Amino acid sequence: MDEVFKALADPTRRSLLDELFKQDGQTLSALEERLPMSRFGVMKHLKVLEEAGLITTRKRGREKLHFLNPVPIRLVHDRWVSKYAEPWASALSQLKDEIEEDE
Amino acid sequence: MDRDQLYTVVGGRGTMTVFEIYIKTTPERLWEAITDEEMRRKYSFGVGTSSDWTPGSEYRSGVPGVIDIASGENLVVDPPRRLVQSFKALWSEDVEREGTSRVTWEIEPVGDSCRLAVTHDQLSETANSELYGGWPMILSGLKTLLETGEQLTTPGSLRYSGAADSA
Repeated sequence: MDEVFKALADPTRRSLLDELFKQDGQTLSALEERLPMSRFGVMKHLKVLEEAGLITTRKRGREKLHFLNPVPIRLVHDRWVSKYAEPWASALSQLKDEIEEDE
Repeated sequence: MDRDQLYTVVGGRGTMTVFEIYIKTTPERLWEAITDEEMRRKYSFGVGTSSDWTPGSEYRSGVPGVIDIASGENLVVDPPRRLVQSFKALWSEDVEREGTSRVTWEIEPVGDSCRLAVTHDQLSETANSELYGGWPMILSGLKTLLETGEQLTTPGSLRYSGAADSA
């Protein structure tokens, strides 16, 4: 989990995740175009994100595609937030059900 | 076999999503957790999945008499490494209209743990995010179950458990 927080502590890396959130499965070249940074710089940041498990990669022909992997963030959520969110979330989902029934 | 060879080659069309998680367990236990109806129920919103898990067999996910969640065919069954399934979502009219996509489970031992990759692809370009949005919660619950024996109580994570009793 240290690696996840370290990876998220950098604004450029968060921007890379934002880009993948908008459009999943991008190549290095596509990501490079979106950031004011050298190809090497983008590669370095992608490597940190990949080591933290926040992105995964797959090959398509000669291209390497990058995908946002939200699972480690889910683990952070489940560890600390779930206990507090539970009563609220269940009350809200009940409210949603009631409102939708009225419609 | 290196990492790139292990993974599914990406098709050229449609939406593809990839989810990965490391779980401290053996490939055999992980395979069991994916294919055992009762274990599955404990980390998949309370929904069980039944099948005889032979290549070409059908599977069904749901809570009998309450809700159908998904159905499809087991296209590749290679325990304890790889399971490829067609996936037709059934939980609402909106998701039913999305048609059939594909889910690939890949298990790779890494030290005393396993890397589990779930690839959900052959989705339409404009696929409803409900189709694949549940995977992080399911995988987080699977990790918790295998590592601690406990069930997650995250909001929604056991949405349908006990539904059959109260319905």
